[in-house]
Amino acid sequence: MTDDGSSSRISKVRQVEAIANGTVIDHIPAAMTMKVAHLLAAAGDQVFVGVNLRSSRVGRKGLVKIANRELNERSLSSLALIAPQATVSIIRDYEVIHKGQVAMPSRFEDIARCANPNCVTNHEKWPTRFDVVATEPLRVRCHFCERSFASGELSLI
Amino acid sequence: MQANQQGAPKACRPLGHPGQAGRPLLEIGRRRRSSAPVGFAGRNIISIADFDRDDILHTIAVARRLEEQPQPQLLAGKLMATMFFEPSTRTRLSFEAAMQRLGGQVIGFSDAASTSAKKGESLADTVRMIEQYADVLVMRHPRDGAARLAGEVSRVPVLNGGDGANQHPSQTFLDLYTIAKLFPGLTDGSQRLTVAFAGDLRYGRTVHSLLVALCHFGVDLLTVAPPGLEMPPHYLDHARAAGLRIEVVDTLAETIRRSDVLYMTRLQEERFPDPLEFDHVKASYQVNAAMLAEARPHLRILHPLPRVNEIAPDVDRTDHAHYFQQAANGVVVRQALLGLVLGRL
Repeated sequence: MTDDGSSSRISKVRQVEAIANGTVIDHIPAAMTMKVAHLLAAAGDQVFVGVNLRSSRVGRKGLVKIANRELNERSLSSLALIAPQATVSIIRDYEVIHKGQVAMPSRFEDIARCANPNCVTNHEKWPTRFDVVATEPLRVRCHFCERSFASGELSLI
Repeated sequence: MQANQQGAPKACRPLGHPGQAGRPLLEIGRRRRSSAPVGFAGRNIISIADFDRDDILHTIAVARRLEEQPQPQLLAGKLMATMFFEPSTRTRLSFEAAMQRLGGQVIGFSDAASTSAKKGESLADTVRMIEQYADVLVMRHPRDGAARLAGEVSRVPVLNGGDGANQHPSQTFLDLYTIAKLFPGLTDGSQRLTVAFAGDLRYGRTVHSLLVALCHFGVDLLTVAPPGLEMPPHYLDHARAAGLRIEVVDTLAETIRRSDVLYMTRLQEERFPDPLEFDHVKASYQVNAAMLAEARPHLRILHPLPRVNEIAPDVDRTDHAHYFQQAANGVVVRQALLGLVLGRL
């Protein structure tokens, strides 16, 4: 059941095409929708995007559907960093075979650049690492320079 | 069928790998719960946040034993490499003195210009190369986190001699050693000290690290800093959560009247866009002998050095001055760290 009821469900069906197989990312903060689509979709993927859809849970939300692809661990980690409240559904033959919120990993490895310009990871070819220190709102701490950041301060690799 | 995609979930377990989130911001002493110190042999000394109360007390006790009973052959046959990618006099010489006073030997460089880093070699490769030559590495580097990276690469222990604006743990160990030696009640819990931090508390890494370490011991903290150079709030929040009582005071004179330990830091002119403002602030953050008339008799003034204007030379002749003894303690504390990570203590 969606959080905005059947009428908006009908509306959503009109606005965002259903997919036979693939991944649906829902409850994306509206402003992050295009970023999520850009991050998760590979070249050649068929992608359907809904922006500024009404949601009682998050106000205005975004929805991204990627046909014929199920997200890997790295993609899920990236999603947890930039849209931790998003929900992900795996679709097979039009059926939702799994739906849930993205698990918050305890650590993000090599998916984002450190926002500290003097961090060694911005000057050496070395994988970045961030430990999650708080979840609401999400804050992470660079394993190397020990600075902590809100997730929105980081840019993805 | 389309509705199924928006419909009720068949399962609600989270996707992706499970993890433990919500750990504390500074994660002090997170590594273990046991009261027995973890063996130091082979351990890196990167950040004071990696050490809990027992580790710190153990290091202080070892340093005290070494001060009372020097062991000039303890590290005979051991070689320390100093990798100083930026200039330092006191830290490098203090580590070298410590190694040589324990019978060990020293190789190294004190300027990145004389290394292959200048030719574009990665830090990881430089570390991999030098670790082949030595039993322990001491590194100073201008980038934040460089020591942590070196520690992950190296098979021999790495001691951080300062990584950018981040950490300088041997300084923190020597600061704590100095305070504990002056006021044994700090570590045995019999005295609640009032420690004051003055000067640049925003960018000064020594006060950040010392505050993290003091969270293991009950103290009252006074802070006084120019506008814009106050202690970052997350450090204060963490310290309060650890049980420290913290008060932000307005004047240096007040901190002098109320403190047992006054930890001064240097104001750096580049932090002030207006030179006139710097001149004004500089004058109000200088301790001189006359100001100490109202101090507690046992007040001791510490400073990581070098000082510039913040402590007038006439303070040196008072009993309150303790910064040169503090610097001297650096040698014995670094002896303790070297002996511990090399497994000889």
